[in-house]
Amino acid sequence: MTSQPPIVAENLSRHFGYLKAVDGINLSIDEGEIFGFLGPNGAGKSTVVRMLTTLLRPTSGVARVAGFDVVTQADSVRRSIGVALQDAAIDPLMTGTELLQLQAVLYGIPSNKMKSRASELLERVGLTAAGDRRVGTYSGGMRRRLDLALSLIHEPTVLFLDEPTAGLDPMSRIALWDEVKRLNREGTTVMLTTQYLEEADQLADRIAIIDKGHIVREGKPQDLKSSVGVPTLIIDVSKEQLEVAKTVLKTFGDIRPSGENTIGVGLRDGASAVTDVVRKLDEAGVRVSHLELSEPSLDDVFAEATGHRLEGENQ
Amino acid sequence: MAVATRQTLALTKRSTKAILRQPALMVPSFVFPLFFAALSADSFGKTTRLPGFPVVDSFLQFALASTVIQGVLFGSITGAAALATDIEVGFFDRLLVAPTARTGIVLGNLMGSALFGGAQSAIFICALLPFGVRVESGIPGIVVMIISGGLIALGISAIMSAVAIRTGSAEAVQGAFPMLFVLLFFSSVFFPRQTMHGVYKTIATWNPISYLVEGLRSLILDGFSLSAIARSIFIPAGICVFGTVLALSELRRRISAK
Repeated sequence: MTSQPPIVAENLSRHFGYLKAVDGINLSIDEGEIFGFLGPNGAGKSTVVRMLTTLLRPTSGVARVAGFDVVTQADSVRRSIGVALQDAAIDPLMTGTELLQLQAVLYGIPSNKMKSRASELLERVGLTAAGDRRVGTYSGGMRRRLDLALSLIHEPTVLFLDEPTAGLDPMSRIALWDEVKRLNREGTTVMLTTQYLEEADQLADRIAIIDKGHIVREGKPQDLKSSVGVPTLIIDVSKEQLEVAKTVLKTFGDIRPSGENTIGVGLRDGASAVTDVVRKLDEAGVRVSHLELSEPSLDDVFAEATGHRLEGENQ
Repeated sequence: MAVATRQTLALTKRSTKAILRQPALMVPSFVFPLFFAALSADSFGKTTRLPGFPVVDSFLQFALASTVIQGVLFGSITGAAALATDIEVGFFDRLLVAPTARTGIVLGNLMGSALFGGAQSAIFICALLPFGVRVESGIPGIVVMIISGGLIALGISAIMSAVAIRTGSAEAVQGAFPMLFVLLFFSSVFFPRQTMHGVYKTIATWNPISYLVEGLRSLILDGFSLSAIARSIFIPAGICVFGTVLALSELRRRISAK
């Protein structure tokens, strides 16, 4: 092991015939980071994960995971990483406990530690009561949690989660987010792919937006959002005070189209200007009945980078 | 090596459990051969007097080897179909992404089929013995028959696993079922080759299934001999080697194609 970042990719590409599924991406994910890979279906997210987890050979480029080359040291990579693939591919005929014990054997965990490790993980993901039930009887959320537990059997330092919450209900999604955050707090580096803007925003320290096999933006969610514009402040005032309010608001930024008795202003100094706006409106005698601050979203970032929106595309 | 063995045994256990937990797939491989044995014993009883038919106590004694072969062949599809399903649903990728010995993935599955095939053979023999069927080679012959059943299951399952790995489709594996059925009918499974004529006899002579059933039949009708043991063990073993090499080369092809 070296001190280099746990996940590094240089000019990584994967072509299927004429289709360039992934085309020369560069990545460097730091230790202890949650890195989100955001993009629509078919953007190349899973192909990148499959290359980094040794399931797919790159057409060109280099990638190192946990300090090992994904092609020439594939077995060492496999021993170092945990992977929860898309769709929670779990044998429905086995019980949760049986699957965990099988996984323990595959990772060379000694027999005398197998049962305790399986019980510990079932408890961790809240499946102790369901451990002896066949997986076929589990709900989608339970399968995902078991999938996560399976990926943790050998206490990996790097964890890959491919669309971990796809198809889950909101409660199950939040429960899984909490578990991912907890793992990260314990020191695990996490790379997750998602097509959910909220998931990337909530979980990831840094995000790469991928579209048609290219990384089109990369950075912290807040920085990315700030890069595409300023927050918009929307206020509701009476019809009589509309013009006065507009005059005041113009000093804080551009007036934006909005509804009847409503004015929007792009705050050039960001959200911190809200208190000044409220004070100036008050000094001008404007009574504000409703006030709302709207930040740029990751979808705005996506739209700005690709020319099309992510929201709606995946629905 | 010890790790790879442990992994293969764990995958064998999984494969066996998967077969036992799917009664809808497992039961027909017992019911149909037994049903056919009962039907043929009643309908074809007089054929034992045909010239060239071996000396038997009853048609059921002749049919025991056919019953074992039918059950084992049908049962061996289950294991291969399970492997194809693993590929379809992504469980195969879970095995590949772990530091699993690649050969263990295939061998574990084949061992599960072999155990099931051996168990099927024992059950068929036990089911027909109370109806007056005698195995001339006695207990040692029955043991050889059970081992042979396991090897036949392994061999056929290996060939079917090659199909499963190449296509990644359980439907493709299930689609091979009618082909097996045709192979069964154009072999000496239901009647001895000595009673056949013309093209049918030629096909049965070239059909490897004829030699599988004749090995077992030799143990049932002729007694315990080195020749009977060799036919019951070495021919299935040859198919095992061929099938396993084929399945492993398909696995290598699938992995390297990625």
